[in-house]
Amino acid sequence: MKKILVIEDNPMVIKSLEFKLTKDGNNVVIAHDGREAMKQLKENEFDLILTDLMLPFVTGNELISHIKKDTPNTPIIVLSTSTQEAIIMEAFNMGVDDFITKPFSPNELSLRVKRLLSKN
Amino acid sequence: MKTLQNSPQDHATILIVESNSLECEKFSQIAFDEKWLLVVCQDGLEAIQWLNDNSTADLLIIEENSSPISGYQIADYIKTELGLALPVIITTGEIPVQQERRMLAYAEAVIKKPFNESSVVFQIRKTLEKAVEVSPEQNDHYSLNYLMDLSGGDKEFISETIQLFSSTINSELQDLKKVLNQKDYHRIREIAHGIKPSFDMLENEKGKGICHLLNSEAKDIEMPYLIDQLNLVFNNINNQLIKDFPELNLR
Repeated sequence: MKKILVIEDNPMVIKSLEFKLTKDGNNVVIAHDGREAMKQLKENEFDLILTDLMLPFVTGNELISHIKKDTPNTPIIVLSTSTQEAIIMEAFNMGVDDFITKPFSPNELSLRVKRLLSKN
Repeated sequence: MKTLQNSPQDHATILIVESNSLECEKFSQIAFDEKWLLVVCQDGLEAIQWLNDNSTADLLIIEENSSPISGYQIADYIKTELGLALPVIITTGEIPVQQERRMLAYAEAVIKKPFNESSVVFQIRKTLEKAVEVSPEQNDHYSLNYLMDLSGGDKEFISETIQLFSSTINSELQDLKKVLNQKDYHRIREIAHGIKPSFDMLENEKGKGICHLLNSEAKDIEMPYLIDQLNLVFNNINNQLIKDFPELNLR
């Protein structure tokens, strides 16, 4: 079972991601903001990270920078909205592997997650 | 107001507000060819009056710069105040993309003048078809299609997600009011960005559109109006949910 960290603050998006990823056979851990995410990353190892870019306390890009420094091989998928092009590009420059637009297409999410998990 | 009885009553009834007589003539010809009933109104207020008296139209086509109230304000009034699920097409001259997006928060489509006959017919047919897709037992405020698709129809997941929508958006809207009083426009943009996917997941295009405006395009001075509108949209959705899911005890 793969362990996935979801970092997101919208409760409906969290619930949907948790439902779909768990149904696909993954172990899902939730962090509601950047601080919680930092704590989880310190205490656990993850096979994949899904993160929003606009988070309370720690920005998505600060978080990505932290993850890339500590665990450079952990794949990251950015959860974005369609209006965040510039921020997404910046995230790609920092080394994120993929992005998914919210609300996500269930099949697209499964495929993208499986692709990155199988690479690792 | 004149009613051009061009088609049998069982065909689509289209209300039109168009001040340019040449363009109006083109519409009349199109309606005749397509067997649509065209009702020509002098302005948006007359269209509203007609809807109050008849409430059986299938589409409203209204010019953006209609007088005394703009096309999108009329569209908004019809949907929000009259509560009618009437699709609206706004007609306009060349406008920037941002302005067009803004109009699409209130209307189903935008047609640019001068009209091209075939593209007008296509756009109207498409909008009428879309309206027909909504079955009578569904409503104009939300759809569970996305959640059904995501969960494979899991009732527990859907009930819990509806409860989350009702409680969290209610609380976020209260926060929006607070930060508006503090004139913290940056925070307003952040909140709107955060709740936009929730409206999107219940397929409420208007709520999503208003959140988009608040997040990225609205001027500070426009925010009080948009926040009021978002509250109205939420109340409509929530009231419908309360009615449809009494067992969830939503407030």
